[in-house]
Amino acid sequence: MSFLVFAFLAAGLAVALLTLSACVGEKKKTPEKGRPFESGIIPTGTARVPYPVPFYLVAAFFLIFDVEGIFIFSWAIAFDRLGWPGWIQISFFIVVLLVSLLYLWKKGGLEWGPTAKR
Amino acid sequence: MGSNGEKVAPNNILLAKADGLINWARQYSLWPLFFGTSCCFIEMAAVFTPRYDLARFGAEVLRGSPRQADLLIVAGTVFKKIAPVVLRLYEQMAEPKWVMSMGSCSNCGGMYDVYSVLQGVDQIIPVDVYIPGCPPRPEAIEHGLLLLQKKISEERPTRAIFRLGGGVQGTQKPILIDGQTKSRDTRGPGYEGIPIRGTSVTPPGFWDSRSDLMWTPPPRRLELNEGDRSLAKVMHERFGSDLCQTPETSDMLTFHVTEARLKEVLEFLKSETQPRYLRLDDLTAIDESARRGPDPYVAYAGTVSHEISGGEKDWPLRETYPDYTLVYHLLAFDPPSRLRLKVGLKGKDPTARTITDLWPSANWYECEVYDMFGIRFEGHPNLRRILMPHDWKGHPLRKDYPDRATSLPPYTQEEARKYQPLDAAAFVKAEEGDEPFVLNVGPHHVGTHGLMRFVLSLRGEEIEDIGMDIGYHHRGVEKIGERQSWHQFIPYTDRVDYFGGLANNLSYLQSVEALAGIKVPERARTVRVMLSEFFRINNHLVWFGTYAHDVGAITPTFYTFRDREKLMDIVELITGGRLHPSWFRIGGLAADLPEGWKEEVDAFVRIFPARIKEYESLITKNPIFKARTKGVGVLSLKDAMDWGVTGPNLRASGLEWDVRKKFPYSGYENFDFDIPTADGGDCYARYLVRVEEMRQSVKIIEQAANQMPSGRYVCDDYRYVVPDKSDTLKDIESLIHHFIHVTRGTKIPRGEAYTATEIARGEQGYYVVSDGLNMAYRMRVRAPGFANVQVIPMVARGRPLSDLIAIVGSWDYILPDVDR
Repeated sequence: MSFLVFAFLAAGLAVALLTLSACVGEKKKTPEKGRPFESGIIPTGTARVPYPVPFYLVAAFFLIFDVEGIFIFSWAIAFDRLGWPGWIQISFFIVVLLVSLLYLWKKGGLEWGPTAKR
Repeated sequence: MGSNGEKVAPNNILLAKADGLINWARQYSLWPLFFGTSCCFIEMAAVFTPRYDLARFGAEVLRGSPRQADLLIVAGTVFKKIAPVVLRLYEQMAEPKWVMSMGSCSNCGGMYDVYSVLQGVDQIIPVDVYIPGCPPRPEAIEHGLLLLQKKISEERPTRAIFRLGGGVQGTQKPILIDGQTKSRDTRGPGYEGIPIRGTSVTPPGFWDSRSDLMWTPPPRRLELNEGDRSLAKVMHERFGSDLCQTPETSDMLTFHVTEARLKEVLEFLKSETQPRYLRLDDLTAIDESARRGPDPYVAYAGTVSHEISGGEKDWPLRETYPDYTLVYHLLAFDPPSRLRLKVGLKGKDPTARTITDLWPSANWYECEVYDMFGIRFEGHPNLRRILMPHDWKGHPLRKDYPDRATSLPPYTQEEARKYQPLDAAAFVKAEEGDEPFVLNVGPHHVGTHGLMRFVLSLRGEEIEDIGMDIGYHHRGVEKIGERQSWHQFIPYTDRVDYFGGLANNLSYLQSVEALAGIKVPERARTVRVMLSEFFRINNHLVWFGTYAHDVGAITPTFYTFRDREKLMDIVELITGGRLHPSWFRIGGLAADLPEGWKEEVDAFVRIFPARIKEYESLITKNPIFKARTKGVGVLSLKDAMDWGVTGPNLRASGLEWDVRKKFPYSGYENFDFDIPTADGGDCYARYLVRVEEMRQSVKIIEQAANQMPSGRYVCDDYRYVVPDKSDTLKDIESLIHHFIHVTRGTKIPRGEAYTATEIARGEQGYYVVSDGLNMAYRMRVRAPGFANVQVIPMVARGRPLSDLIAIVGSWDYILPDVDR
C-alpha cells in the first residue's frame, strides 16, 4: 500500500513539474536559440555521421561471455550429480571459449584507443 | 489596457504575492555561465573559492552551457573577433536572463582603446549591472551580484509568466548605440568637434613632439665577446658584401642581410657555425615608413648646439631606412648566445621567402607578419590571417593604420551578426570519400582555458586532424606600445600574461634598461626577483588546481586558491595591487618595501613547502591522474627545440635550460637554486617540473628576503627615472624631471634592444625599438605562449579526444600571451 502511495506521489510530482514548466516557461523561438550549442560557433556539417564506437564491440563481447557464465554456474551447482561426463563437457565448453577469446584478441577486437601513429 | 494595446488583468493581492515569491526564488538561485575572456575571469573564479564563496549569495555553480545558465557575467575584454560568439551565447541562454558587465574593458573598452577591442559590451547585448575595476576585486563581484538581486526583486514576473499582459522580467535595457545613447569619447560626452589627444604620438609627423629637445646620452654600447667577434669574421668571409655587421648594438651581435641570401645565412647559422643557432626565438617586422628625418626642431637646434639632437651628430635620414625590416632573433644553446638578423624590404606590399622549411615554428610567425604588416612569404604552406578575423581589412601594425577603436566606426550588433568566425571546415583536412565529424572545441569551452579554438576532425574518439584558430584575445598591445610613453606602457605589460603580473614588468623593463644603459640598484633588483618568484608560484598554483580539475579532480582547486589568496595578500601589502600591480618602474620600483613585509614573507616561506607536499600527496601518485597523463602528449626534445618551445614545457622534455641561469638578469646569479627537469616530455613530466619549480621559487624568495640589501629602491639617474617624490621636494632638478616624466614622458635614446626573462610559462622577450621619442617606435612582445601552442596539433593528432583536454591543460598557455 505504502509503495503505491509513493509511486503515485513520484509520478504525480514528475508530471506536475513537467506540465508546469511547459505551460508557464518563457519560450522564445529565435534562429540562434534553435541552433545547436557548439562552443559559440556555428556548427559545421551534420552530427548524423556513422560513428565508430570501439566500446560497442567490447560491450558485445562482454555480453556474449557473460551469458556463457550462466552455463558454467549451472554446472557448478550440480557438479557432484553430473559426475565426470559433466566435467568433461564443461571443460570442453571452457576450452572453446578460451580459444574464441584468443581468436578475437588476435583479430584486434579488443583494441582500444588510437589506431596508428600518424 | 497596456501601452501596446494588449489586455492587462487588474492588479490584485495574489499577483503581488506571487511576484514576491518568484523573485525570491530567482534572486537566490542564479546560474552564471562559465564565461570569461581575460584577466577579470581570474577574479571571477576566485569569488567561487573558499575565501569569497559566492555560493553564500545564491549563485552557486558555473554552468558550462548557455542552455543551463540565466546569468551572463561578461568577465574581461570583448574583442571584435569574439563579439559574435558573445552575442550567440547570450541568445542561447535560458529565459529570463540577466547580464553583468565585469571590468573596465567590458564596460567601455577600458585601457584598451585599440582597433581589435569592442568599446563596451553594451553595444551588442543589454547590460543590467556594471562592475568597475581592472580587474574588479572579488568583493566587487559580490556587490554586483547583490545589486542584481535587488534589481530582480523589483521585477513583476507573474504577469509575464501567466500571460496576463504586462509585467517585466529579465534584462529590459536596450543596447546602446554610439552617438545616440552612448559616447565613446574617452573624455565623456559633449566634446565632439574638438580634436582628440596627442598629435605628438601620431605618425608620420609626430607633430609638436618636444622629446627632440631633450638630450640623452647615446644608448648602451655592447662590447662583443670573443665568440661573437670570431663568428662575425667567419660570416664576413663567407657572405662578403651581402652581409653587414651593425657596428654598435646595445644587446647582441647584429647583421644586416640582403633578402636574396637570407635563407643561406640562416641555414649556415643553424648547421655550420660555432655555436649553432638552433632556435628561432622570434621573427617579426618593423614598418619603417614613419622614421623621422632631421626635423625643424633639430635643424634649429643644430644652429645652437649639435649636442641637443640626442647626442647623434649624424641623424639618419628617412631615405636610409628600407620600407620594412624583417627581424630574426636566433638563439644558440651551447654556449648560450643570441644573434639578430635584419632584412630590409622595399615596396608597399613586399614579398620575402619563407623559412618554414628551416624552422617549422616560422609558420605562425610569418602568418603574423603577413596579418599585421601585409608582407607576403613566398612558399609558405598556408599564409593566412592568424590574429585578426579572416575578413578583416588592413594590416594593423602598419604606421598608417589607426590605432584606436575610437578612431574607427563604432561596432554594432549588426556587425556581430555578420562577421562570424571562419567555418570549421577551413581548418581541417577532409579525406576523400568519407565524411568526418567536425567539432569545435572553443572559443567558449571550459577545457580550453581561454578564448582558444580547436577544430577537430574526429573518427570516433580519435582525433584525425586538428586545426587551431587563435586571435580571439588579440589586444593590440604592440600597437599600444607605439603610442604610450615608456612609463605609461608598464600597466599594459602586466596584462600580457595576467598570471605573471610583475614578472611581465620585469621583461619589459629589462629591455628598456638594456637599451638606455640604466643601472638598477641592488635592493630594487632583489625585490624584483622576489616578487617575480611570487608570481611564478601564483601561476603554478592556479595551474595545479585547474589542471587537476581538467583530468577529473575538483578538490585541489579549492586548496590552491586558498594559498593563492595568501600570496595575493603579500603582493597587495607590498604593491597595493593584486593581479596587475604595475609596480616596477624604469630604474627600480614605484616605492620602497613597506613596514612589515618581512614577517609576511617569512610566514609564507614557513608554511608553503608543507602545502606543496600536501597537494602532491593528493595528485602525484593518484592512479587516475597517472593514467590520464603518463605517456600522453609526448613532445620530444628535438621537436621542442625546433618549434621554439620554452619554459617548463621544454624542461619537461629533458633540457636543462632556464634563462635565469643561462643569461642571468636582475641578480639571479647570486641565488642558489636548481633547474628542475624531467624526462619523457609527457603531461606527467610537465606536471613534475612545475611542482618542483614552486619549491625552487620558495627557496629563491627565502634567500631574497633574508639577504635583502639596503639602499635606494630606484636609481638616481633621473634623466630616465621618475624621481623619488621626497627628492622632488628638495631640489628643482628632480622636480623638473618628475614633471617631464609624468607629462610628456621619458625620452629613450635611438636604438633597439631585445632581452628575455624566464616567466612562469617560458621565455618572454621584449624587443623595443626607439626612434629617440617619448614612446617606442616598435614594441615587440616575444610571448612564450605563441611558440608553445603552435606545436599542440602535432602532439594531439591521432590521440583520443579525452587526451586533448589533458594535453591542453598541461601546456599551460594563456591567451593574452598567445595573441597579445
